[in-house]
Amino acid sequence: MRVLRLSTQALRAMAENKTRTFLMMLGVVIGVATLTVIASSVLGARAEVMGKVEKWGLDQIMVMAGSGRKPGVPQTVPTTLKVEDAQAIISEIANVKDVSPQINRRDFPVKYGNKSSYGVLIAANPNWSSVWNTPPEVGRFLSEEDTGRLARVAVIGRTIQKDLFQDEDAVGKQILLGNNPFEVIGVLEARGTAATGVDMDSRVVIPLSTGQKRVFNQDYLFMIKVALHNPSRMSQTVDDVRALLRERHNLPKGVEDDFTIVTPTQVMVIASKLSMTFSLFLVLVTGISLIVGAIVIANIMFIAVNERTAEIGIRRAVGARQRDILVQFLMEAVSGASIGGILGIILGLIGLKALSGFMKLPTALMWEPIVLALLSAIVVGLIAGIQPAKRAANLNPIDALR
Amino acid sequence: MIEVNNLSKTFQKDSMEVRALQDVSLTIGKGEFVSIMAPSGMGKSTLLNILGCLDKSTEGTYVLDGVPVHAMDDDELSRIRNEKIGFVFQSFHLLPRMTAWENVILPLIYSDSDSNMKEKAIQVLTSVGLADRVDHLPRELSGGQQQRVAIARALINNPRIILADEPTGNLDSTSGEEVIKIFRELHAGGVTLVVVTHDMEVALQADRVIQMKDGRISSDRLTGSQLAEVAR
Repeated sequence: MRVLRLSTQALRAMAENKTRTFLMMLGVVIGVATLTVIASSVLGARAEVMGKVEKWGLDQIMVMAGSGRKPGVPQTVPTTLKVEDAQAIISEIANVKDVSPQINRRDFPVKYGNKSSYGVLIAANPNWSSVWNTPPEVGRFLSEEDTGRLARVAVIGRTIQKDLFQDEDAVGKQILLGNNPFEVIGVLEARGTAATGVDMDSRVVIPLSTGQKRVFNQDYLFMIKVALHNPSRMSQTVDDVRALLRERHNLPKGVEDDFTIVTPTQVMVIASKLSMTFSLFLVLVTGISLIVGAIVIANIMFIAVNERTAEIGIRRAVGARQRDILVQFLMEAVSGASIGGILGIILGLIGLKALSGFMKLPTALMWEPIVLALLSAIVVGLIAGIQPAKRAANLNPIDALR
Repeated sequence: MIEVNNLSKTFQKDSMEVRALQDVSLTIGKGEFVSIMAPSGMGKSTLLNILGCLDKSTEGTYVLDGVPVHAMDDDELSRIRNEKIGFVFQSFHLLPRMTAWENVILPLIYSDSDSNMKEKAIQVLTSVGLADRVDHLPRELSGGQQQRVAIARALINNPRIILADEPTGNLDSTSGEEVIKIFRELHAGGVTLVVVTHDMEVALQADRVIQMKDGRISSDRLTGSQLAEVAR
């Protein structure tokens, strides 16, 4: 109960010195607000990346045409990856469940009437929908018949639908892909932004045959997406695919691959490396602002101890032990920091809400960063308060009463 | 009540040794009203601080209420101050932003009693004539009233002894008389009082006047009223 009485004395003292208390909180408020925003967005981003990777498929690998960009070497258009390669992969490698050979082209102009947009144009087979786990939400997906007759039909993503048609029904409408007229036959389910930052809903999918003959006028592919039966044997399968393609492309030993195999683990590593660097930097920033908060609290507490020597002397004279004085001042520092922390969290959440207009953030309230922020505030209060509180406790009551 | 033997206190001040108290021996009985007189700087404050367990002697023994306190550590001394001693200071030493009753309960904060603190404070404030000033801040009170709040604070834990350091030093004569009147009432009620002063008029209100010079007791005698009582 003594602790309870001491804490009411501490709170009393804080209420009496509103300016001091406000200044004391300020540093922590700012530090904790940043911490809340940062931790929430980093955790949110990480959760989203992991979610993306899972959605993208942990049982899938991508074979990209070309050896990948290298600094100083001019990029040539890789023309060696063919539909036959995709067929060979599925027929010769047992662990391969399905393949989606496709031609992708970014920033492809899409028009409807006087409205225009840019999308990722993808020429693919009807199995694209299942391999990419992206079924149509409205209308239908491409069929074998579409492929067979080189149909000018397209399935569009949500973003394109919104850009061109707003709330209007897109199915059955004629759009222009470049200068080629196509009929919209379906709208894809929304998939959001990829780990790489690409808007997955700006995709426009047309039959592979149509793309090859009528749009791109090329027989080589941009990539092949490969779905596996057993993802635990992924690395073996990657080796098999590599060996098969090298053989098919007649690449002698010592010559590098003319394709690049990307696995979800690689994507995950890149994504987590990115967010690690990001969080490290932000933790540094937050750390500095919390240290500044601690210094502010410590200084204000030192000033308070000097101002309140008479009070300390009186308390000691009426029976306060050194410990009681220590506890009271420590409580003032810690509760100042904690209240600052709570205000910081509130401010941070408001900030997050404001930021969510500009960037994608998790909508769900995450308690880990909040607990983290509050704990750091308490620790800041303790660290900042201990020295001033010790000084207060060690004051000689006679000197304090003089 | 108080038994002090061969008490000495030395300070280090600018590498000089200052002897504030030398060989002070003193016995104060239960219920006595004693004043200690001395010009400033003659060791009376040091003696009061030691008697009040705020300071420790360099040499000698001090037995308070049958308990040897000269060997106690800081926590034990704090407890003694809390339970057995009530202080009254020249400049009142009230907490400026707390009301009268909040100031009065301060010793209770550091004691083990968990009784209704405000009720108790109102009781004691009433006994010093401040029933209508319970919720006032010190700055809203006159000097005499502030000193009476301080006396109420000293009384709240039913101490065995009240130590007052120039209790009328900052008061006009009317307020000073009020304070002395309260002291006389407390004395009549059996409270042990030790008042440090350099005001002869105040000192003569006590039963016994101890005079100090250069850290020593130079005289210790009963006052007229007490002498008269003894004579009778």
